[in-house]
This record gives sequence, structure tokens and C-alpha cells, in this order.
Amino acid sequence: MKRNDGFESKELPAEVQGTLPDVYVDDLLVTIKYFVDEEHAHLWIEDHEVCARCRHKPCLYFCPVNVYTLGHDGKIQVAYQACVECGSCRVGCPYSNIGWTLPRGGYGVAYKFG
Amino acid sequence: MNQHERIEFDVVVVGAGLAGSAAAMVMAREGLNVALVERGQKPGGKNYFGGAIYTHAIEEVLPDFMERNPPFERPVTEAGFWFLSQDGLMRATVQGGNLDRSPADAYTTLRASFDLWWAEQAQKEGAFLIPKTTVVDFIREADGQVIGVVTDRPQGEIYAPVVIICEGVNNLLAQKLGLIDRDLEPAHLALAFKQVISLSSETINTRFGLPDSEHGLAVSVLGDVSLGLPGMGFVYTNKTTLSVGLGVMLDTLAEYKLKPYEVLQRYLAHPAIAPLVAGGQLLEYGGHLIPEGGYRDMPRLFTGGAMVAGDAAAMVNALHWEGTNMAIIAGKRAAETALEAHSRGDFSERVMSRYEDRLKDGFILQDLKQYRNFARFLETHPEFMGTYPVFLNDALGNFFSAYGKPKRRLFREILGALTNRRSLPQAAGDIISMGRAVMGW
Repeated sequence: MKRNDGFESKELPAEVQGTLPDVYVDDLLVTIKYFVDEEHAHLWIEDHEVCARCRHKPCLYFCPVNVYTLGHDGKIQVAYQACVECGSCRVGCPYSNIGWTLPRGGYGVAYKFG
Repeated sequence: MNQHERIEFDVVVVGAGLAGSAAAMVMAREGLNVALVERGQKPGGKNYFGGAIYTHAIEEVLPDFMERNPPFERPVTEAGFWFLSQDGLMRATVQGGNLDRSPADAYTTLRASFDLWWAEQAQKEGAFLIPKTTVVDFIREADGQVIGVVTDRPQGEIYAPVVIICEGVNNLLAQKLGLIDRDLEPAHLALAFKQVISLSSETINTRFGLPDSEHGLAVSVLGDVSLGLPGMGFVYTNKTTLSVGLGVMLDTLAEYKLKPYEVLQRYLAHPAIAPLVAGGQLLEYGGHLIPEGGYRDMPRLFTGGAMVAGDAAAMVNALHWEGTNMAIIAGKRAAETALEAHSRGDFSERVMSRYEDRLKDGFILQDLKQYRNFARFLETHPEFMGTYPVFLNDALGNFFSAYGKPKRRLFREILGALTNRRSLPQAAGDIISMGRAVMGW
């Protein structure tokens, strides 16, 4: 089942270190169409204490639309409105600490091209 | 609720994607009352892929598909691999011959329009599409037999003696039914992300060496595209857009703390790629998981009153870009089994098991079984996505810049470019391992 010790942290090969550009994610998000369910968040953190103990916090990196960010209070914040429902965080959270459901029918991402 | 208010169908199909609409089409054509339940506003809105659709699979469900104006982008008339080093590109593509048929074997496609059209064909056969509706559970008898689904609509129970689960990669319903007892592992899931980039068709034709818009290119890109880590990029030419993106294994993204959109931006800025997308307008960005674990990650495919098809059943062959075709054919096989069950009036597990027999008869289960070790092979041999693509660039680059140089030295340099990275016994071992993984030995 899930590894409860988190992911192994690895270093990029020397020749590609420092070659990743900074990207302003909002420039990407504006191209995605959503029907946002304002009344119901389909993603949530189960227990913020667990996140506090999570060493690598991989959700801050692998989410393709940057749903997870670290707030000023040190807590993980969840911008579920930007979610594209890929499921990476559902299986990628090393502590299974992310509550994940499908948005209610009709809500969520609505790709125009796909 | 009294008996008369029950919503009843002969079959419920969960998900109007490639597998679901194929299943609905086949069953509705034979006269079954089919509910096709889709959680999106309309079919296709939740789907995202490279990619290309294969006509052999469409034809098997819809022999006259070409007369129904399928929303294809371009026929794939050139296909192959591009190997990227940090500043170079080696292309290995084919054109002509088998790639010069009409209709073509493969067409580049965008899923929002294709899946919508595909579901419309099911509706034309009589399937009843229920959009904006998420299936959240099953209705089961005391012995576990599935007799319907629960949706998130008020009084949202839909009864049917057969349910075909085509829910996609997030296999929540298959887990709920106990067909698989776990989530798929990050090491067996590729997170794919891409940009759809707008360019005029003339610009696309010129940049990719295509004579006109009735010619198209589909390539897998290996090497620097994924920083040499386990992953693979792609370029597909559409009519007036490019689909450019890559997939990286989810555990790799986590371990190296990589942000998908940064990896994609780096790929688009590569000196060999940037001129191809220059001046293009970003129309859409998105991401989706691909279940690449194959045979070893497959759930049990059936139980009394239910079957599972497509990504939900991990029907993907990553090496051969297959998945969409498996979904369509598996949907059809599930439909045939549902028809058999209805004609016998028997929806037991024994009759549902004929679905698996049907899949064993064809390429789907045969190939997935043969490639059962391929996911692990890629996990343990990242050099095929890093070392070797870079070596191929260096080797060919040296070969074509050796003018006036003693050729004995050239070949020593080429050999050195390999042995700096992998020893000859290691390289030989790598190739044997790949052969074993592909052949299933």
C-alpha cells in the first residue's frame, strides 16, 4: 500500500540542474474552462498536523495546476477551483491525507480542446 | 419509494468516454435500453490526451464511420521518435508505405470534439445520455450482485441488471466494488500534461515538412524532454493547432520535486522545439494521469452484474501509444457480453466472465500480458529515456562533423561517448532486458 515514510528525495543530474524556467501558473490556468462549484470543495486536507510532519510535501510540486500552496501560517492551502481532476494528489500524497472526490455532476474542469 | 417510480434500464454505462460510448453504441443498436451516464457538462470535457485515435478500433464499432464526419484533425502520415540531447535533435520517423493509406490507420484528434461526436453516435443508435451526473455508488443485492448505480442527483438511483464501468483512471468505483483493493501506484502512473498551441495550417505544414493539411505528424520525444528521467514527450500536428506535451512518472516528479509546467516550459524552449512553436498562441493547458502499469495493475474485470473497461482497467500499452483503441474494443466486448447476458436472462458472474474470455481472444489481454514486465523495465532502466537518446545525438553528431578527421579516431570517439555512460556489457544487458520486457520472457 502507501509508503508512509514519504518519497525518496533525489538530486537532478548535474547537467540539468538550474535549467528549469520559472513559470507564472496563472497564465496557464486562464486557458482552462471550469464550472466552479462554489458551495462544495471536492478536495480537502484531512489533517493539517499530518502535513506539518510531512518532510517533502510532494503535493506542492507535482500538481499540474498548482492547487496546493504553502500559506503564511505554514498550512497547506487547497485551491480546488483550479483542479483538473487528474488524481495525482489522490495517489501521490504519501500519507493519503488528501480528501479527494469527483466534483458534483456538471462541475469542475471542462476542456475545450482536450 | 414505490416500485413504479424506479428508473430502470437494461444497462447503465458509467462514463461517456471512448470505452463507454462504444459499449453504449453496440448495445443500443441491438435494441437494449442503455443509460450512458456522464459526469461532465458534455462528453469529452474531462478527457485529455496526446494524441491519436486508431481507425481499426472505430471501424469495429462503426463500420461506416468515414461517412459520419468524424472530427479528425489530420491523418498520421509520418510517425516515429525524436531523440533530444540538451541542444540537439535526432529524428527517426517513417512516412509513406503503410502510413499512406486512406482512411489512415491513425488520426490526430482533440478529445473535446471527438468524444462528443463519439457519444452522439451512441445517441443516434438510441442510447440515452445523462450528462452532469456523477455515479457515486452501486445498488447491490445481499449476495453482492450489482443491480444498478447511485448518482449524485436527488433520488438518483438507476436500476439495471448490467453496469459497465468506464470511469477512467481514477478507479473509485472499481475499488468500491472490490475489483481492485488499492489505488494505482505513483511509480506506475504517468502524469501527462500538454499545451494546445494555435498556428496557421500553412505554418504547421512548412515547419513540419508536410505537403498539406491532409498530412500529419505524430512523434514520441525521448531524452532531454524529461531531463533524462523516466518520461516521454510528444508532438502531434492538428489542423491549426499543435499538441505538445510530455508524460513523467508521478513518483519521479515527487522524488525530484519537479513542477510539471516548468518541465513543459523547458521542453518548449529547447533549441530544436522553440522554432516549431514560435509565435503560436496557447489555447489550452491541461493534465491527465495515464495508467501505465498494464497487466499487473489490472483489476478483476467483472463481477455479478458488472464489468470494467478502458483506463479504469489499466488498458494501456505505453510503448505502442495504445490505450484509446483498447478502450473502444474493450467497450465493445463488454457490450457483447451484456447482450449475451440479456438474451440468456442470466447476469451472474459466470456469464460476465465471458467478457474476459473475449478479451483473451484478441490483442488486448494478449499484449498486456506479454508486456506485463514493461513498466518495471522502464522503472529499472531509466537510461533508455536519458543516456541512450543523448548518445544517439552525440554519435550521429560526431559522424557528420568528422570531415578531415581520421575515421579511426571518429569511431573511438563514438564508442567513448557510449562507454562514458554505460559499459559495453551493461549496454548489451540493457538491450537484452528490453527484448525480454517486450517479448514477455
